Amino acid sequence: MKHQFVKALRLGLVCLSLGLLLVFAKQTVQAATTYDIATDVTYPPFEYANSRNKYVGIDIDLIKAIAKTEGFKVRLKPMSFNGGVQAVESGQLDGIIAGMTITPERRQKFDFGTPYFKTGVSMAVAKSSHITSFKQLRGKRVALKTGTAAADYAESIKKKYGFKTVTFDDSNNMYQDVTTGNSVACFDDHPVLQYAVKQGVKIKLVGQPATSGWYGFAVKRGQHAALIRKFNAGLKKLKANGTYDQIVNRYLSSQKNPAVRNKTFQIATDVTFPPFEFANAANHYVGIDMDLIRAIAKDQGFKLVLKPMSFNGAIQAVQSGQMDGMIAGMSITPERQKQFNFSKPYFNSGVVMAVKSHSTITKLSQLHGKKVAIKTGTAGADYANSIKKKYGFKTVTFDDSNNMYQDVITGNSVACFDDHPVIKYAIHKGTKLRIVTKPVETAPYGFAVKRGHNAALLAAFNTGLANLKASGQFDQIKAKYLGAPGKAMPVTADTKTDNSFFGLIKQNASALGEGLQETLLLSVVSIFFATIFGIIVGLLGVVPIKWLNWLSTTIIYIFRGLPLLVLALFIYTGIPSLTGEKIPAFVAGVITLAFNEGAYTAAFVKGGIAAVDPGQMEAARSLGLPFGKAMRKVILPQGLKIMVPSFINQFIITLKDTSILSVIGLLELTQTGKIIIARNLEGFAVWTIIALMYLILITLLTWLSNWVQRRMKA
Amino acid sequence: MVVIIGPSGSGKSTLLRTFNGLEVPTSGSVLIHGVDITKKKVDLNTVRRNVGMVFQHFNLFNNLTVGQNVMLAPVELQLKDKASAAKQAKELLTNVGLADKFDAHVQSLSGGQQQRVAIARALAVEPDIMLFDEPTSALDPEMVGDVLDVMKDMAKRGITMVVVTHEMGFAKEVADRVVFVDQGKIVEEGTPEQIFNHPKSQRLQDFLNKVLSV
Repeated sequence: MKHQFVKALRLGLVCLSLGLLLVFAKQTVQAATTYDIATDVTYPPFEYANSRNKYVGIDIDLIKAIAKTEGFKVRLKPMSFNGGVQAVESGQLDGIIAGMTITPERRQKFDFGTPYFKTGVSMAVAKSSHITSFKQLRGKRVALKTGTAAADYAESIKKKYGFKTVTFDDSNNMYQDVTTGNSVACFDDHPVLQYAVKQGVKIKLVGQPATSGWYGFAVKRGQHAALIRKFNAGLKKLKANGTYDQIVNRYLSSQKNPAVRNKTFQIATDVTFPPFEFANAANHYVGIDMDLIRAIAKDQGFKLVLKPMSFNGAIQAVQSGQMDGMIAGMSITPERQKQFNFSKPYFNSGVVMAVKSHSTITKLSQLHGKKVAIKTGTAGADYANSIKKKYGFKTVTFDDSNNMYQDVITGNSVACFDDHPVIKYAIHKGTKLRIVTKPVETAPYGFAVKRGHNAALLAAFNTGLANLKASGQFDQIKAKYLGAPGKAMPVTADTKTDNSFFGLIKQNASALGEGLQETLLLSVVSIFFATIFGIIVGLLGVVPIKWLNWLSTTIIYIFRGLPLLVLALFIYTGIPSLTGEKIPAFVAGVITLAFNEGAYTAAFVKGGIAAVDPGQMEAARSLGLPFGKAMRKVILPQGLKIMVPSFINQFIITLKDTSILSVIGLLELTQTGKIIIARNLEGFAVWTIIALMYLILITLLTWLSNWVQRRMKA
Repeated sequence: MVVIIGPSGSGKSTLLRTFNGLEVPTSGSVLIHGVDITKKKVDLNTVRRNVGMVFQHFNLFNNLTVGQNVMLAPVELQLKDKASAAKQAKELLTNVGLADKFDAHVQSLSGGQQQRVAIARALAVEPDIMLFDEPTSALDPEMVGDVLDVMKDMAKRGITMVVVTHEMGFAKEVADRVVFVDQGKIVEEGTPEQIFNHPKSQRLQDFLNKVLSV
């Protein structure tokens, strides 16, 4: 029954849109109709006369642009807002565009077009005022503008907060009443107040917008349906081709959140957590988290630099201040709240257990004595750890989802735990797993910033999230990746992609190429600095000055003693913690390699010099040559010959070691591989490609080195 | 020419090496042209330019050719330009009988040849004093003569030389003064006649008995 109903509905929709098309087609060939549109006299930035007394503003530009695309003419009639409303109501004018908020009352008298601008009521006070909340308004006077949504709002709360109101017919008078001190505050739409501040009116906004609503274009109810259709169609086109944004930005770059506007934030994310974050076939980062943060950035007007790295790496990068925030399917847990400030939850997941397709395990109780795979930092891991005693299983921890799945598929582990949408997505992508339990409610996901830092960003996220929820965009994002509730997951285009070996190469050629480039650049720069650093430290070890020898030995001891991974994380996350200055991942990577590889270089430089017969130095010194000259002319040329094989060896090691830097999110070859696998889950094939690429690189490097070595001997 | 003799481990080489600062004495002073070179402010590089040294194991620079070995110090110390340093090097090599080895690699030379190159190299900075640290000890017997001939030749030309050696015949023939060192101390010194024919101390007598009876 239900099915038939949907079918009928769909048929109806098709008919309707066909009809609409016909109407449009008819109208475009008609001679241009002229409409009389009312607008407000002074409602900047939506409508106002500019210095040449020409009417401009968002509303004006918008209606003109729509008229142009839809082929009708507009005669604008600026009048007071109330006058305009009445003129349309009485049928004297055809429509009104005047920053008019869509309200249920107004809907009874007007038909509104698609909402075209989001707004909210804010309170503003004189610049020097101490008033920050409604409570402080008790007994005071508040200025309002007649007929605005803000005035309605103020009237609705005036009893509760005990203030008096005074109304004006235009904004300027209202502002003046506040700046002269007659009134202590005024209420108006957020963008209007912001524009006034921008124009130099001596007021300031306090608090967050109290309400939110939308502006709409209105015609008299039941009349001018054609005009509304034209308006909607035109608005859609303008939004699609960017004209809408241009118009808004022309007047209101400050319409966005001023605390974060035009600022750039570095946001860390996980490499492999589909459907929340993963690279699509074009190697562009997508997913619920990605789309969400981008939409919020757009909504709030800030810029984003997204850095995919391992989940743990991301946590550390945010803790150390390297990154401003992270969004990575991160559960809000009490432990994490000690280190991070979280946004309002944006996603409620639920942990499920998955087993191999043919496994007989279906219940937690069957896990006794078995191994279970989990991914670090996930809600699944927390859940598994919390029940492992009870059910008597052991856990194996992995850094990314793909490895975790592989562990189950190969049979090393019998089951894995992860968020329901994540596993569902993996199965959808062809991972041979089966979900056997119902989702267990766990902590919801939140966007995180370092505790006590980036409060503006967090606030912007919350505001943006609320906006997206209000506009329905958030549900659209979720549906895009998870399917509508109860429906199957949407089939995305890349399920049809060619996953053969050569297909994979072809498909990922550009990403692999970029990874290769990064690896090469990283290697060359690191080798350069490591060699310089190594030679200097090595020489410090042989000069006849005791404390320099000691320094050299200590440097070698420290940097050779630290695992590269530890050193990389220490430099990347440690230095910002100590200095408060961020350090780009590439620079951190080069420093890491320069120190680590340089320490090894220093050791064999020292050894190479020591291997030269000490008589050579004595003979040179006995001729009166200073130490430096003797070193340069006699000892080093002989020592270098001894060192050449070590150098070649070290270059190769450095090239390979660049792969470790994937941990700090550098998009080199290894990280590129991880990302590709996160998307297509073709671990074996992709790692084979990556391995071959490294081998080719190293072969080339060896050839080059051998050639250099031969030339040196000649 | 002063020849220093004495049993192995008696401190002959150490004594010699204090003369150009390769060893720093724990006490006492070393006077070269009246200057105490053990003093800190003395520029040893300048001292060494005036005090050439020839080593037991030659210590030729293995990364350079014979000619470059001889030219290195004069050029690097900016005593001569390359052309005149090369000219001088050829003359010095001719004097030691190795004119044809100018472009040869050091490793291709015999021990005796290497030691003569080493002498030429030391002479290239035109030192006032030459130190020889057992210059023939590492040589095959048939090579010893060539090197000693060169040294005799230098002695005739009046170059001040201090030689540590076990070649008693050479000492007797060429030395102006012979110094006998034992256990880190100068036990006896005098003309070759006094030392070899009229040794006073018991220790020198024992030493000579051992050395000459071989």
